[in-house]
Amino acid sequence: MTDLLTIDYLRDYLLVGAALFALGMLGFLSRRNLIVMFLSAEMMLQGTALSLIALSRYHGNWNGQVFTIVILTVAACEAAIALALIMILYNRRASLDITLWHELREEAAPAVVPALEEAATAELVEAIEGPETYPSLTPAGLEPEHPIQPWTERRR
Amino acid sequence: MTTGSLLPTLIIVLGAIGAYLLLPHRHGRTKPRSAHVAGAALTALGFLGFLFSIMEPPSMSKPDGHFYIAATFFYVFSALALGSAVMTIVSRNPIHSALWFAGVVLSSAGLFLLAGAEFLAAGTVIVYAGAIIVMFLFVIMLAQMEGRAMYDRSARSPGTAVFTCFLILWSLVYCLGSLATRPASGGGEVTFEPVPIPAPRLAATYRLADNNSTKIVLDRALRPTSAAQNAQGLEKPDVAGLGESLYTDHLLTVELAGSLLFAALIASIVIANPSRSLRSDDPEFAESNA
Repeated sequence: MTDLLTIDYLRDYLLVGAALFALGMLGFLSRRNLIVMFLSAEMMLQGTALSLIALSRYHGNWNGQVFTIVILTVAACEAAIALALIMILYNRRASLDITLWHELREEAAPAVVPALEEAATAELVEAIEGPETYPSLTPAGLEPEHPIQPWTERRR
Repeated sequence: MTTGSLLPTLIIVLGAIGAYLLLPHRHGRTKPRSAHVAGAALTALGFLGFLFSIMEPPSMSKPDGHFYIAATFFYVFSALALGSAVMTIVSRNPIHSALWFAGVVLSSAGLFLLAGAEFLAAGTVIVYAGAIIVMFLFVIMLAQMEGRAMYDRSARSPGTAVFTCFLILWSLVYCLGSLATRPASGGGEVTFEPVPIPAPRLAATYRLADNNSTKIVLDRALRPTSAAQNAQGLEKPDVAGLGESLYTDHLLTVELAGSLLFAALIASIVIANPSRSLRSDDPEFAESNA
């Protein structure tokens, strides 16, 4: 494959890059797990890198690939710092839920009720049998005494 | 809006409704199985429409009957990348999300290979699939030892997010729709839509001018070390050409990237190390610095 990309191929590459970018943005905006949010941000970077490489091929020039190398570097740095932050946040609240950090707001801004508390105050609905229902066991008797292992005790 | 942009709009709306049905409920309630089935069907429709209508596959066979292997692989890798991307954002289990994201990375590495970027394909697989995914999996296993969590089953304002993201996708598709060599239909006269001119031809045009800023920028970007072909018009080998460009034209970029990695290393150690207190008003600060 020594020839450069044709305009139709370039367009298809850019479309795939755009779709990856939009899907990554959807994941970043809608998911509540910190890890999945950062995975979606990496997916947005991947879509951008794909567009840059296709344009580099179309123009017969290495500059786009050099930009992609810079994107790889930034993604690695971002992942390192993000994972360090996630560990810190997890040690404080014992959860990866992003809505627990809603109080990081300006003082004058109104408080936002986290979706979980909102759901807890809403009336209970009948659980529908489906792929999302989790099995539940009827509690029987008292919970036995068990020693708290050191690696689990920071969860409580 | 012309009729030509009606079909892409319809396809993207189908995909948006499907993605909304597949995303978790806003309050973490269970969705009925019919919502999942309908969401999967609509997403699949939008997905197939995106692949075969919006992307307009080039002819898969040459005039002499031979098969274009590159075009086939392009479609296979694109379908894998987009399908894995959808599964990444709708999976309820973060470990499944991470593994589907590895699928996105591997298939886009295949696309990189098809675009002639062998070094970057290998680098992406090593850096993303080899290092970043494994680190994410470690963090998930550290943080979610109990398995399923409530917040994985609920989404933050999924309706608004779906609307915003698919609006962006629609506008990008709309802008890219004008990039085509297809003759515009009208009056029997064949007129071509405007296409971006490849850089060498653009430079040849601008070199005729004496002194303008575009010429200077183009001359910098199109130095012979940056070009993918040598003076005889032959393809340079990938790693050698990329390295030549990287260490002559972009030397400062390499230095900056190295400094960035070093700064990120130190920053993540400082952030993640809980034993030392960084605030000067903390009584432990005086003890640790005594």
